[in-house]
Amino acid sequence: MIKLNGIEKYYSSGFVKTYVLRGISCEIKEGEFVSIMGPSGSGKSTLLHILGMLDEPTNGEYYFLDQAVHKISEKQKTEIHKQYIGFVFQSYHLIDELTVYENIETPLLYKKINSSERKGMVADILDRFNIVGKKDLFPNQLSGGQQQLVGIARAVITNPKIILADEPTGNLNSAQGEEIMDMFKKLNKDGTTIIQVTHSEKNAAYGSRIINLLDGWIKEEGKN
Amino acid sequence: MFENYIKVALRNLIRGKLYSFINITGLAIGISCFMLIFLFIQDELRFDRFHSKADRIYRVVQKLDHTEGQGENSSSNPFPVAQALKTDYPHLIEETVRFFNFQVPSFSLQYGDARFNEKRLFYADSSLWKVFDFPLSVGDPATALAQPNSIVLTQEMAKKYFGDDNPIGKVVRFEGAVDLKVTGVFAALPTQSHIVFDGLISFATVYGQTGPNFGKSWIWNPCWTYALLKEGVDPSELESQFPAFVNKHYPDFIKPQMTHYLQPLIDIHLKSKLDYEIQPNNNESDIYIFAAIGIFILIIACINFMNLATARSAGRAREVGMRKVLGAERNQLIRQFFGESLFMSFIAVLVSMILVALALPVFNNLSQKQLSLDFLANPLIFAVLILVGIIVGFLAGVYPALYLSSFEAISVMKGRIKFSGRSGTLRKGLVTLQFAISLALIIGTMIIYNQLSYLRNVDLGFTKEQVVIVPAKPPIAGRYETLRNEWMQNNSVINVATMNEIVGAHHNTHEYNYEGMEAGKWIYFPSLIVSETFVETFNMQIIAGRNFSKDFPRDDSLAVIINETMVSHLGWESPEKAIGKRMYTPTGDERVIGVVKNFNFVSLHDPIGPFLLDMPLSNQRPFWIKYIAVRIAPKDFRETIAHIENKWNTVVPEYPFEFFFLDEDLNKLYKSQDNLGKLVGYFAALAVIVACLGLFALASFTAEQRTKEIGIRKVLGASVGGIVGLLSKEFLKLVLLSNAIAWPVIYYVMDSWLNGFAYRTSISLMSFVLAALMGLAIAFLTVSFQAIRAAVANPAKSLKYE
Ligand SMILES: Nc1ncnc2c1ncn2[C@@H]1O[C@H](COP(=O)(O)OP(=O)(O)O)[C@@H](O)[C@H]1O
Ligand SMILES: [Mg+2]
Repeated sequence: MIKLNGIEKYYSSGFVKTYVLRGISCEIKEGEFVSIMGPSGSGKSTLLHILGMLDEPTNGEYYFLDQAVHKISEKQKTEIHKQYIGFVFQSYHLIDELTVYENIETPLLYKKINSSERKGMVADILDRFNIVGKKDLFPNQLSGGQQQLVGIARAVITNPKIILADEPTGNLNSAQGEEIMDMFKKLNKDGTTIIQVTHSEKNAAYGSRIINLLDGWIKEEGKN
Repeated sequence: MFENYIKVALRNLIRGKLYSFINITGLAIGISCFMLIFLFIQDELRFDRFHSKADRIYRVVQKLDHTEGQGENSSSNPFPVAQALKTDYPHLIEETVRFFNFQVPSFSLQYGDARFNEKRLFYADSSLWKVFDFPLSVGDPATALAQPNSIVLTQEMAKKYFGDDNPIGKVVRFEGAVDLKVTGVFAALPTQSHIVFDGLISFATVYGQTGPNFGKSWIWNPCWTYALLKEGVDPSELESQFPAFVNKHYPDFIKPQMTHYLQPLIDIHLKSKLDYEIQPNNNESDIYIFAAIGIFILIIACINFMNLATARSAGRAREVGMRKVLGAERNQLIRQFFGESLFMSFIAVLVSMILVALALPVFNNLSQKQLSLDFLANPLIFAVLILVGIIVGFLAGVYPALYLSSFEAISVMKGRIKFSGRSGTLRKGLVTLQFAISLALIIGTMIIYNQLSYLRNVDLGFTKEQVVIVPAKPPIAGRYETLRNEWMQNNSVINVATMNEIVGAHHNTHEYNYEGMEAGKWIYFPSLIVSETFVETFNMQIIAGRNFSKDFPRDDSLAVIINETMVSHLGWESPEKAIGKRMYTPTGDERVIGVVKNFNFVSLHDPIGPFLLDMPLSNQRPFWIKYIAVRIAPKDFRETIAHIENKWNTVVPEYPFEFFFLDEDLNKLYKSQDNLGKLVGYFAALAVIVACLGLFALASFTAEQRTKEIGIRKVLGASVGGIVGLLSKEFLKLVLLSNAIAWPVIYYVMDSWLNGFAYRTSISLMSFVLAALMGLAIAFLTVSFQAIRAAVANPAKSLKYE
């Protein structure tokens, strides 16, 4: 599903190049549950952003479903992004001005799905995530775990092929974290590819494979 | 989708209460000012357009060249012009109509006990309704002014004289001598007319009063004459006939100097500045000034909106980034932000409609108009409001829309938006512009007021204070000496004189033949026809020769007094040398007996030209005694006036007494400047308020943004004063910069405005410094309020959040 070939990313300030990623080559198959680990500043988020087409590598090749992402236009990227990718963030990033229901509905609006269909889909997701009772609340009326559930619900409502999650449990206590990881496990079972960044061995254990980053290099790849 | 935007817009509105309040208030004030000015300008531009044939109606006016004499640019014509034009050019002219009032200040009208002097009565030709559309509520346009001794009154006049009785057929006594039958009543007359009257008398009535030979002269030019051109006739076609017309009808001596031309009816109110206008017209340039002010205030309000929106963008960046990650395209976000700003601007439009409705009575009072927010009668208001709503929404939204929508999703995910220095610079630039406009308006107001006070206090060369003017009537001439003697009995009456026009405001021109001029030729000089006590009454100064005097009984036909400028105009070496020079009139071999020190015989818009004082021939006195000037002592002036009134009532019982003060009357010459000053002043104040609202909000955002920095500084030991200084300094710098922009621009504008006056103040640095200090003080108060709040906040609290 994803193939990286010699991905490099550096920032240049003046004459000094600061490498964030170097020589990243790897492949991720459909249906995998991959955890990216590594110390702070090792380039995990950057890699995830590149995978999610929110950031561009400086060099290297990136194939997504056999499409050469490094060659296609911004517009096509947005299309792929909209169609296949769901994002989950450490700090949830819900829209404060919208209710739970409206937050979950927003991606559907941008996909121009009609109103009755939308209602059905949102109702379905609320049900699946067990948050029907919270649908009219605003984000600041929810606990962190609940907010992250909404964040995931919002990410999966469009039926993405892949979910990219950057430290999804980083702000949560362990009970809440477990709940989220269970949800990922379930989604993965239903066929969704998942790539998560995590610091926790325990969370990494939910996945099928670990990619360890150190100073921008892939240090080792391990299988669970 | 749209629903979603509205929801977000509404919730944002409620969440940022202060922000929304300031935004909407500022915009609403801006739109209200704009609407008031729009209504004002619309009213001005509508003058005389209610006549259905307005585009074919022209006023015939007359120009008497002043290559040698002073000449005149007369808005009125000799009596026979109208009929002669109609007879000579039937293929070009459909109809003509004249208005006439003997050039007297008022006529008396009496019905039973109701007896008043009416200032706005005119004689008018019966063809009136073939040209104009002044609507009648009762009466037949075909006959109402056809018969001699007919009068058509306005509703207000009918009510004033007859109460609720039916006015038709009632007979009123006119000028104590003629009975006029009421043959019609006007319906409510549009106020947008350069001809304003309380009643019209059939023109034929004049001949009954004066005899059939009256009104044959091609010299005296008191008739305002309007011509309705035939459909499709170009006015220049008629104008090209005027040289031949002059040649055919006018007396030989005046032909070379005389020209006629046409003024489009609809141009008169704003463009015409001729002699003897029916009422003073307005200045076209004032319209431009107002339009500019209206647009500037709107710009200031839009700037607030833009500034506040960008200042808040940090808070909304997350939302933008998030929406992008969720699949929003940029143009969808642009639409969202435009939607929000349009939403806000239409709320402001609604609020401004309330504000305008509340402000209209005051504004009408100030501008002396009857404007209303009547959508049915004036659907254009509706269109303009919508348009303003859209334009303001668009202008105010364009920057936030483009700026906010450009945030990249990635930066949001990295948890920080780097605000480019650009938005900060732009914001500062806009604040500077706002303050520059406000300061310019303040300075402009001060300069206008300086000039007005200068005009009031400048030495006119004659005394205008404590002078009571009593309009007179021709029959009084025979009793004038008696009246004067009776008045002079009172010690508080210092002197009494007569004149044919109000000194300092109006005058006529008359024919003269000066020494050195070819005999039999005449040129026109401006002059006042006065009694022998005129110079003393007004404290004027004879600098050579002598004053008129009773000791020289033939002064009326043999003597003139000229002013200093006349001496130099005619090249007579000195005032002394001018004495005894010839200055013939058609009725007397007059000579210069004295030279009077220059005085301002016209408004201070114009410099002093050559001028004469002349006495009426004793047998023509009834015609020339139009005003009696009474100079009185300052103390107990009420009693003095009571004395004047008593004596009038015994000597001239048939006419109601009326009077006014000369200085008040002369102030009317500057009425339009006065109004301009007032209105500009009010709008300047509003502009400052709107700009300060914006500054206040911006300061509060800056303080908010820097909460953490302030907290750290306080922990490190900064004092409250130091922090207030830190936060205020930046804004005060902007205000100083705005001064630098405003000063040269407003200096240039006001200098050219002042150049419209022959007598003008110099622009003093004082106004500029004062405005700058005011600007600084206001800005400091506004900003420091927020700064102090931020500075005294508990640092522990603000730091905990990060
Ligand atoms: N815009 C940037 N300019 C320079 N360096 C950057 C920029 N963005 C990220 N970095 C650097 O890239 C490195 C990797 O960042 P990141 O991918 O967020 O690491 P991680 O998520 O593993 O903690 C960090 O050292 C960070 O300082
Ligand atoms: Mg990271």
